[in-house]
Amino acid sequence: MSQAPQEREHSASSGRLGYGGVFLLLALVTALEVWLGSVGVLRSVRTAFFLVLSLFKAGMVAAYYMHLRTDSRLYAYILVAPAILLFVFSIIAAVP
Amino acid sequence: MTTHSVEHSDEFRAGRELGLNHVKLGMWLFLASEVMFFGGLISSFLHYKLNNPSLESGLLDVLLVGGNTFVLLTSSYTVVMALAAARTGNTAGLVRNLLLTAVLGAAFLAGQGYEFASLIREGMTPTSSVFGSSFFTLTGFHGLHVLVGLLWALRNLAKALRGGFGEGRALGVEIFGLYWHFVDIVWIVLFTVIYLI
Repeated sequence: MSQAPQEREHSASSGRLGYGGVFLLLALVTALEVWLGSVGVLRSVRTAFFLVLSLFKAGMVAAYYMHLRTDSRLYAYILVAPAILLFVFSIIAAVP
Repeated sequence: MTTHSVEHSDEFRAGRELGLNHVKLGMWLFLASEVMFFGGLISSFLHYKLNNPSLESGLLDVLLVGGNTFVLLTSSYTVVMALAAARTGNTAGLVRNLLLTAVLGAAFLAGQGYEFASLIREGMTPTSSVFGSSFFTLTGFHGLHVLVGLLWALRNLAKALRGGFGEGRALGVEIFGLYWHFVDIVWIVLFTVIYLI
């Protein structure tokens, strides 16, 4: 079967950051999360802050390690569509 | 076959085929179903956590699980390095990184087992409360996914040792990688939802 132009071979470094750079970034953010989770931060910003960090980490893994940055956009749509539904369900679940 | 029918056939194929690898597309569709699976579990966990606050959540050890999170993140790095090695025909690099992935996956499961045992000793069990039930269901299913990934990594390792992967024959490692990274992403979300907020 022929490969579409979108299905490009991913270089070993996968972009400017490189796999090692992405790993270091993820490790740093995780260390920050654990530290803040241990010492505790203001309740009012806690949820939003940790959710943003979590989405950032998940996005980095998907973009660089799963190669969604360079692969067909269809794969990204396939992953994001149910994730949006998950977000909606979570909001509904969060309402008492 | 006439020229007209050839053109028609090409157009027909162009309309039907996405030009994507079917195995890879199939894995992405499977992962989409997994998003819904974990989405349902996470939604129910959040519902119970917010509407039935439990003191048992105070038993969770952020430092221990943070270390375990780091282990799983590291395994994602070794998987992507295994894929890079497979694509360049570097069998030694592929074997080394798949082995590291299996070790890190086993370490994650050992950490999770230790956490479960500690919680159960403290009195938090799958039947002790709604929080305990939803916690063990959610993290248990994730652990089961890691176990499947670990067995898959070992299977790929055995195949790599037999010289089953190489330049132009790395699809098996890539498909495994997609699954492993997805399991990592799920844990990133679970770590935040269960332990941090």
